[in-house]
Amino acid sequence: MTSLELFAWLTLLFPLAGCVALALAGRSLPGRGPGWVGTGALALSFASAVGALLALLAEDHEHRQAVAVAWDYADSVGIDAQLSLLVDPLSVFMIVVVSGVSMLIHLYSISYLDSDRGYVRFFAYLNYFVFSMLLLVLAGNFLVLIIGWAFVGAASYLLISFWYRRTTATGAGIKAFIINVLGDVGLVLGTFFIFRHVGTLDFVGAFENAREEFSRGDADLTAGLILLLVGAFAKSAQIPLHTWLPDAMEGPTPVSALIHAATMVTAGVYLIARMHPLFELAPTAAAVGAIIGCLTLLVAATIAIAVTDLKRVIAYSTMSQIGYMIMAVSAGAYAAGLFHLMTHAFFKALLFMAAGSVIAAMAGMQDLNRMGGFKRAMPFTFGCMVIGGLALAGVPPLSGFFSKDEILLLVGDRGGWHWILYAAGYLGAFLTGIYTFRMIFRAFLGEPVTEARELEQGHLHHAEAPTNPATGEVEDADVGFPGPEHQIAERESTMKLAMGALALLAIVGGALQIPHATHVIHDFLEPTFADSTHYASKPSKAHINRGLVIGTLVALAGIAIAYLVWVKRPQLATAARARLAPVHRLLVNKWYFDELIDALVTRPAQWFGAWAQQTFERVFVNGLLVGGTTGVVRVGSSAVRAAQTGFLRYYALLIVVGMVALAFYFLLAT
Amino acid sequence: MDIGWFLAVSALIFTIGAAGVLTRRSPLVILLCLELMLNAANLALIAFARMHGSQEGQVFALIVMVVAACEVTIGLGIIVAVNRRRLPIDVDEMQELQG
Amino acid sequence: MTLHLSILLWLPLAFGVLALVAPARAAGRLALAGGGLALVYAVLYLVDFDAARPGLQYLTNETWIDELGISYKLGLDGLNMLLVALTTVLWFASLLWANLREWERPRLFYFHLALAETAVLGALLAQDLALFVVFFDLMLVPFFFLTGMWGAANRVQATMKLVIYTLVGSLLMLTAAIATGVLAAQGDPALSFALSDLAQRPLAESSQQWIFLFFTAAFLVKMPAFPLHGWMPDGYRAMPLPVLAVFSGVLSKVAAYGFLRICLPLFPDATEQFQMLLLLVALASILYGSAMAFTTPEMRLILGYSSVAQLGFITLGIFALNAQGAQGAMLQAFNHGLVVAPAFFVVALLAARAGGSQDIRDMGGMAMRAPVLATLFLIVAFATLAMPGSANFVGEFYILLGVFEEKIVIALVASAGIVMAAYYALRLFITTMHNRMGARVESREIAPREALVLAPLVLLILAIALYPQFALKRSEETVSAVTAPLAAQQAEGGAETAQRRAAARDEAP
Repeated sequence: MTSLELFAWLTLLFPLAGCVALALAGRSLPGRGPGWVGTGALALSFASAVGALLALLAEDHEHRQAVAVAWDYADSVGIDAQLSLLVDPLSVFMIVVVSGVSMLIHLYSISYLDSDRGYVRFFAYLNYFVFSMLLLVLAGNFLVLIIGWAFVGAASYLLISFWYRRTTATGAGIKAFIINVLGDVGLVLGTFFIFRHVGTLDFVGAFENAREEFSRGDADLTAGLILLLVGAFAKSAQIPLHTWLPDAMEGPTPVSALIHAATMVTAGVYLIARMHPLFELAPTAAAVGAIIGCLTLLVAATIAIAVTDLKRVIAYSTMSQIGYMIMAVSAGAYAAGLFHLMTHAFFKALLFMAAGSVIAAMAGMQDLNRMGGFKRAMPFTFGCMVIGGLALAGVPPLSGFFSKDEILLLVGDRGGWHWILYAAGYLGAFLTGIYTFRMIFRAFLGEPVTEARELEQGHLHHAEAPTNPATGEVEDADVGFPGPEHQIAERESTMKLAMGALALLAIVGGALQIPHATHVIHDFLEPTFADSTHYASKPSKAHINRGLVIGTLVALAGIAIAYLVWVKRPQLATAARARLAPVHRLLVNKWYFDELIDALVTRPAQWFGAWAQQTFERVFVNGLLVGGTTGVVRVGSSAVRAAQTGFLRYYALLIVVGMVALAFYFLLAT
Repeated sequence: MDIGWFLAVSALIFTIGAAGVLTRRSPLVILLCLELMLNAANLALIAFARMHGSQEGQVFALIVMVVAACEVTIGLGIIVAVNRRRLPIDVDEMQELQG
Repeated sequence: MTLHLSILLWLPLAFGVLALVAPARAAGRLALAGGGLALVYAVLYLVDFDAARPGLQYLTNETWIDELGISYKLGLDGLNMLLVALTTVLWFASLLWANLREWERPRLFYFHLALAETAVLGALLAQDLALFVVFFDLMLVPFFFLTGMWGAANRVQATMKLVIYTLVGSLLMLTAAIATGVLAAQGDPALSFALSDLAQRPLAESSQQWIFLFFTAAFLVKMPAFPLHGWMPDGYRAMPLPVLAVFSGVLSKVAAYGFLRICLPLFPDATEQFQMLLLLVALASILYGSAMAFTTPEMRLILGYSSVAQLGFITLGIFALNAQGAQGAMLQAFNHGLVVAPAFFVVALLAARAGGSQDIRDMGGMAMRAPVLATLFLIVAFATLAMPGSANFVGEFYILLGVFEEKIVIALVASAGIVMAAYYALRLFITTMHNRMGARVESREIAPREALVLAPLVLLILAIALYPQFALKRSEETVSAVTAPLAAQQAEGGAETAQRRAAARDEAP
């Protein structure tokens, strides 16, 4: 085993070991011990990921790919499923980002979840999630990919329903899980289409065979890839499989930061990047990905302007940003998409952490309408929120600016109908500026609310009996729900440390890939994408400069409008809402996607179930088949029973008559 | 002597026995009639054995006697048991095994 | 060391007879000892079994009824090795569990339980059609008494329904089996029911058809498959839970096994002809079973209907008529047994915590003081819904891939069953363990002796999830041999793919 493979395995195994250790012995650790164990496991994992990175860089350019096989997993009758990892620049990039961001979020959670009864369970789940995510990105064949894919879905379910006494949380959990399973099925069926032709599940072998087996635009390949895209859309919350993500905000805030912003939801992006040799052979499938990504980024951005739940604003923003990434990798801008994946992980995790701090100060309340004026009470949180917001809105020189800019640059450079995506991308960027700063202004500026005032005076407000905002029922603080103490960034050094580190990364992360100057990520990922036809394309200088200027202006314009509407002239917001009532209703109801899916899928399924249960089962199966069969037997047996009179002499007579008949028969026969 | 006489007697006894089984209602009499039927058969067996000059028929007759003895024992046992429970000694009254 | 299948076969019954004559208090322990010894013996086979060797191993072949050509022929190969292991494992677990409580008339109870194990093992091991039929019908006898005497409320009616309904199927099978032997012997003086002989004497296509349908009816009733599952709800409601665990875990697999052991090799033409019919029946079972499982509120029936759906998947795999599908079916048969039995144990534990109710509407919030129970149940639930990473998923992957290669549309529709499984399994978990506490619910941790039954089974699920190759490797040779003649008859398109795949495999380093 080479050191590269060893480091890859170690990266994977530390979180698993952490999870098992916490599950078995976590309860015997004192105080914040379990949190530190979980974080330590992640730190070791991150160190191994960095080790893998260094080991990879030590290889020369052509040899930066290794397949590590543990054992034959399910290898028989022509299906070659081994437990194998594929270690190449793409997967190493992903494990470094995933383990790094995860480590910081674990660090944050150590204090954030401190007063929660489910402390040990939380860290065990979180470790399990990271293990699953790393398995997903390190997978060396389709089957292992699907396993990682489903594991992260399960971890996501467990963490969404972490406060499992809340019916809203369990409902959101099962919704997320079902949609994710739908994605798994898409992935499985897509795999079948590809396997049918390439004859192997192994990524390296499959991509090699694909070039010979598939002609450009092959129907089977296109069908297979569209099914893979169903998987990607389900996991990355793209239209129309996105409805679970906003609901997933029922989970604790660090979970939203880790799973529903920084890592799991970007799995779809990774998947498309990983499958790039196939997508380049099937332009139709790639176009589907790009268009859906583009639609999502617009729809989600519009919804984000209307919703009033702090975390849901960020959730819709996540959907929108992933739309950018999906659009990028589908259109062939791989390095740009992955670059945005990385910067987005930094600033979105940061935004969620800051939001978590605010929510803690509000004792679990997430409604923007109830917030205001936290600037003075929570200066550190405010600073982090602004940094995250500027990066998200794409204001230079923060990281988000460069990554978003590069995506649009390369998408626009594809020419043809891609200019629509290009224009839509800038429209989305404009909306991003508006919704991000609407959220920040409404939470932090304006008249301080009671909670903010109490915090300024030095004591933390907390509700006497927290209630579930959705149903109004009193929370069950007995198990797995934060107690009266809520931790905020201002008071907890671990939270401060994690947020500070992410803020720093959100500011300087863009330096890796500055137009005209640096191209670290592009170069690093080059061996993975060496066979791509789009990878080497270089946009013209004029195009680059134009993009930089438009991007800056659009972002600033968005922020300015947000300032105008929500700070300078608050009456404008009400006026606009009254004026555009139908639009507002559409947006507040999230374009009615939930209702649509309900009418198309849930209701028919329930109706069928009820019909089967109440009518079909009773009448046909039980009445006709069982009743029929047993009825025939019963009628037959009652006919036979009639002969059994119980009269002894009657039986004797029958015997005699029978014997006489026999005798006569023989007499006549002879 | 002609075998026919033996068989005629045997048939006569057998018919008497069968008629008794069919017409009488007392289990005791039915058992007696059954014995008649068995002995009629024995008579026929022995007559044939004599005619053929072989021993098989006699052996059969002995076995039938053993069976008859067993049957009487069990039959009487049942009748005694029925009597002990103060049930009527009448086969037409005992019809609990009807379907 | 030489191993004799007869010992494995009669061991449980021998101890069952001992239990019958021993003092009532020792009956349970004696039956348990028999189950344990059978388990040990089966494990020895599992270790000793030569996976690379095609054909039957450890053959026992004695003449039983010479005039009728019926022999006492037992053998192990890739088709039944794992199912035999599964049977002994589940029976041991069930006996262990039954020992945790007192039963009325314990001697008779344990005798019947042991007799049932011998009958199932006999059906699995028999390599003679007549012997198979004998054991297949013998299976019904102990379950008749176990349900009728120790069952729940309306047990008598349920038992009659179960027995009459499945007996009709068995009678059809008996007729078909006799016809097979007699018709196959035409022109050949020696009547023989040995499967190996029958495979050498193919029947005319017209007689294959009706015989195949008769066998199919018997197997589908036993499974049960839609729409012949009518006996299942009442039967499942009435059976005592330890009995239900083995009934649901093993007996249905014997039917699936019957398809592979008897229908495919003996009636290849009819199999080919009715492939579509069986695939549609399987598909209907999957969809219907799943739909029922997510509407019914009774826990036993959720598992019962989920079994209908799972058996649908297994049938689907078998009638893909290729090696992938059959491999998946074998693996899935093993997995489903391993999963459904602990699920019934969990039902019992939950019922004990909800004031005896087995209705999910009375449950809720049980995870609170029972993290270990919740974890064990969660693993079982995830395995039930065939989450990737469990061996159940590998089974379904193989099955769907096998079907996909033959009939794409059916595979696409069947995959909806996976989504539905996710819903009903999770619904069962959430409504019992999560949400608010039910009115009469008392959250209590699993007792150590209960965990002693449940935990090893869950560990087995985890172990097979980590290394499903363990099962696949053992069945590969035989399954390939069984499906090869059928695959060869398939359309040319299929052959082409197989060839290309073989070529691709050779090229790979």
